Amino acid sequence: MEITLPPVDLGAITPELIVTGTALVILLVDLFLPRDRKTPLAYLSLLGLVLAFAASLPLWGRARYAFKESISLDPFSLFFSSLFLLIAALTILISTNYLEREEIHRGEYYALLLFATLGMMLLAKGMDLVVLFLGLETLSISLYTLAGFMRARLRSNESALKYLLLGAFASGFLLYGIAFLYGATGTTNLKKVAVFLGKGAPLSDPFLFIGAGLLIVGFGFKVATVPFHMWAPDVYEGAPTSVTAFMIAGTKAAAFSAFLRIFLYSLAPLKPNWSAVLWVLAVLTMTLGNVVAIAQQNIKRMLAYSSIAHAGYILVAVVAGGELGGSSILFYLLAYALMNLGAFAVVILLGQKGEENLNLPDYAGVGYRHPLPALAMAIFMFSLAGIPPTAGFMGKFYVFSAAVKAGYIGLAIIGVLNSVVSVFFYLRVTVMMYMREPRAEVGPIYTSPALAAALVIAVWGTLQLGLFPGRLLELALRSIRPLLG
Amino acid sequence: MNVLNFPILSLVTYLPILGAIVILFLSKERHEAIRWVAMVFSTASFVVSLWLPFYFDSTTAEMQFVEKLPWIQYLGVSYFMGIDGISLWLVLLTTMLCAISVLCSWEAITERVKEYHVFLLILETGMLGVFMALDFFLFYIFWEVVLVPMYFLIGVWGHPARKLYAAIKFFLFTLFGSVIMLLGILAIYFYHGGQTGVYTFDVLELMKTAYPYSSALLSFQNLVWLAFFLSFAIKVPMFPFHTWLPDAHTEAPTAGSVILAGILLKMGTYGFVRFNLPMFPESSKHFVTFMVTLSIIAIIYGAMVCLVQRDMKRLIAFSSVSHMGFVMLGMFALNAQGVQGSILQMVNHGLSTGALFLIVGLIYDRRHTRMIAEIGSGLSKQMPVYATLFAIVMLSSIGLPGLNGFIGEFLILVGAFKVNYIWASFAVTGIILGAAYMLWLFQRTMFGPLEKPENMKLLDLNAREIATLVPIVIMFFWIGLYPSPFLKRMEVSVNHVLEQVEKGQAGKVNPGTKAASVGATERHLPSIIQPTSGTSEGAPGVRER
Amino acid sequence: MITLSHYLALGAILFIIGMFGVLTRRNAIGILMSIELMLNAVNLNFVAFSRYLPPGALTGQVFAIFVITVAAAEAAVGLAIVLGLFRNFRTVNVDEINLMKW
Repeated sequence: MEITLPPVDLGAITPELIVTGTALVILLVDLFLPRDRKTPLAYLSLLGLVLAFAASLPLWGRARYAFKESISLDPFSLFFSSLFLLIAALTILISTNYLEREEIHRGEYYALLLFATLGMMLLAKGMDLVVLFLGLETLSISLYTLAGFMRARLRSNESALKYLLLGAFASGFLLYGIAFLYGATGTTNLKKVAVFLGKGAPLSDPFLFIGAGLLIVGFGFKVATVPFHMWAPDVYEGAPTSVTAFMIAGTKAAAFSAFLRIFLYSLAPLKPNWSAVLWVLAVLTMTLGNVVAIAQQNIKRMLAYSSIAHAGYILVAVVAGGELGGSSILFYLLAYALMNLGAFAVVILLGQKGEENLNLPDYAGVGYRHPLPALAMAIFMFSLAGIPPTAGFMGKFYVFSAAVKAGYIGLAIIGVLNSVVSVFFYLRVTVMMYMREPRAEVGPIYTSPALAAALVIAVWGTLQLGLFPGRLLELALRSIRPLLG
Repeated sequence: MNVLNFPILSLVTYLPILGAIVILFLSKERHEAIRWVAMVFSTASFVVSLWLPFYFDSTTAEMQFVEKLPWIQYLGVSYFMGIDGISLWLVLLTTMLCAISVLCSWEAITERVKEYHVFLLILETGMLGVFMALDFFLFYIFWEVVLVPMYFLIGVWGHPARKLYAAIKFFLFTLFGSVIMLLGILAIYFYHGGQTGVYTFDVLELMKTAYPYSSALLSFQNLVWLAFFLSFAIKVPMFPFHTWLPDAHTEAPTAGSVILAGILLKMGTYGFVRFNLPMFPESSKHFVTFMVTLSIIAIIYGAMVCLVQRDMKRLIAFSSVSHMGFVMLGMFALNAQGVQGSILQMVNHGLSTGALFLIVGLIYDRRHTRMIAEIGSGLSKQMPVYATLFAIVMLSSIGLPGLNGFIGEFLILVGAFKVNYIWASFAVTGIILGAAYMLWLFQRTMFGPLEKPENMKLLDLNAREIATLVPIVIMFFWIGLYPSPFLKRMEVSVNHVLEQVEKGQAGKVNPGTKAASVGATERHLPSIIQPTSGTSEGAPGVRER
Repeated sequence: MITLSHYLALGAILFIIGMFGVLTRRNAIGILMSIELMLNAVNLNFVAFSRYLPPGALTGQVFAIFVITVAAAEAAVGLAIVLGLFRNFRTVNVDEINLMKW
């Protein structure tokens, strides 16, 4: 047994290298900046993200593998890489304001954010389970730290601990599943797994089922599907708001990118088995997420439950499968990221120092005190609820058409009814903002050009995807095709 | 086909939203300016829409003033607008009532004037779009867009006591119906695509396909019909789904009630004529008894409830339930008189109930109560002009010959009678009850001694207030005395719809074969919709039923 | 003769003990240790599969090394978080660290 090192093809991972390099530079520059002037680091990291995006553009041309087929440069991974870069950039835009208000003067924040982005990009590109695992852990470990970034705040501590324990627990399941998949197929390379299963290998191998089952549990934790969701609300509520936004938009998309690659691509021959399980998970996730969200008073917690529900909608599309189902997931994840990041931008804008002003009653009358942020928030809420003409509507429309097309009428009906239920709590935010009299005067809000830019981008994207989704639909379709063979 | 070679429908539709955008740039303190902008743009939309009946070709059932542009090509979505004899008058009704709504809010709305007019104008665009859209996707978007501004109109400017409850109830009820309709739309979209290979949301194309039908309740066509039914029946509202209506109408500001009763409810009945009847002819016939029963229950139940109302606005809200029952009854008589009467009655009801809400609004502005007992009696002595207009509106509502309500109700009764005289006799009961509660309402408030001290110093209507009612009253007499311009323009389109219902699947693509073969497969709904039924996807699909 | 099944059974037992520990332990350090146990059960599986699978590639063993490395990183971050937590809460009992309802 000789070990051949794979050819090093740095060109294939330029975007990742740029992100890593920027993160390292930030750590270095941080040392030379005065304690309370860390904002330049934000712009430095933005620059890095833009460069990484620019570097990823030439890769779109032709799909290829690198590093002995452990990295895949197909439209699928590039779509997700771009999505992650966008999410990271928006997160940084909404962070500066927040970090200054909460007096978190630490440059590592941006470095960790970039490392997390790196992990997500590896998750999307990984064609080998080893790479996926490393990407996932890079992402997770950075996020554990970010979740506990407000060291003096008890809730942030608690959030970090819960995220760490549950995250590591989930990693255990995931790895165990990978081990069994390896045992059943003899390889950790997803392409070889697909080839192996596609050749008509016996699909009744118990290892295969145990492996797939454990993978579902592991990913179930990571994307927070019911019944593996209990950590999510606490973690999302306790983490610094900008990090919550990043986690809700980014980690979910990242986990789904790996999940799709494993299940829609490698384990496609097993679809009749796993889709039945996911059917149940989808129903539970949508229903529980929406129903419990109704009872929430804290807006971060409400958005946390709403993110659980949205994971359920995405699972509907996974179950539906096919080109339509697959591309609808990509579309949905982008729409979902835009509207959630936008909503969190408003939450940050309206928040007060010390994570205050986050309860629904605090939003009373905001519509008249701060008309523009309130208008943006209303757009995001309607989008999350799936009211046209917004990205959220198009996403749901697309997901449910996939379900109807694949014949999952029951699932589609449960899904649309759930989206009606969800309207209830999203509307409550607008009710508060526009239909209640303002409460006693609260402190002024601090805005910054960066935050305003993030809001404008999110609003523009939400409406653009709602009104003229055509080009993105085609891009999503093109991106999902390599997975479907 | 577009005789004008000019996108007149888009102009009518988007003039209001253009006004909304202009208003957004005005300072929120400049109330007068905001009102004038809203007035100018909604009137402009009305004036432009007045061209439609003149250039309307009443000899064809084809869609007219058509605009068609590709939109989301990948999904087969296009921007497709057009009107025929069915939607023509509803479009005019909408533009007219919206202009009147702006006028009637002039003094009633004093807070958040800017937002109010923005929402009002967006609402107008949404409603016009619903009546003009000929692409299901576009239709659905307009349909939902209507919800949001209406929700805000009720929730922000409504009566403080219960406005939140009413707004959310309205929103959830309608949304519930519409998402089910969305699934129905998707079902026919994929079925049509599977049959023809062309995936499109074009309503006219989708109408050409025969959807598998059998007499079993859960055949494909019946299920889709029911999905559409749910959405439209909630909007109409038909009997068991009407509970949102009294709340929403009662709590909404006057203009909101006028638009709700005058136009929004018509979206439901319009949906039935436009989609259910021609698209699913067999199912429509299948459910005639069901629909007629619900309609008759609505007619009689609505009227009975009116008799015991103490709140004027609530009374008129319930009278809408009763009147909309008439509209549905005429439609499902499925003959020329019935359907024509039904469409004319949609317009009539929009005018007369809109006017009734204006009347209530006028008294509410003065007395700040809607309770009949608190308003007291004898107002005609203090406000003669008001009483006169009220009398005309009331007589129109109860269907006095010479006024518009009579023509519509008469046609509906003729239509119903031709099918089944028992239906007609029930309906007549509704008319009698209707006369009873309206006359009683009028008598209790307008006649009798002028007792309440507050009423002694009431002012009669000013010029602006008269101006809100006069156009409607003119329409009452016009339709009542000389209805043929109205009927003539809808005749061909109505006959075309009835023809489609009559011919059923025989008039559509792949005739007969489907109907015969579907008996065996209709229980496996998913496999029908799934043209290329993948082997691996079958198993969980079966589980769902 | 020790077969693949023996290793897998041992791995499963270790994994379940670890899982049980995570679910029942109240001490954060204890939970971290239980997670380590689960990861090591996985490593055992990887190595066993690698040894017994026909292709005999080294993938499984390599994977195990990666898991060990990452687990070390995770433990480092984890202990840092627990330490920070202890400074604020004066406890590492997860039942008492419950400002937000689970």
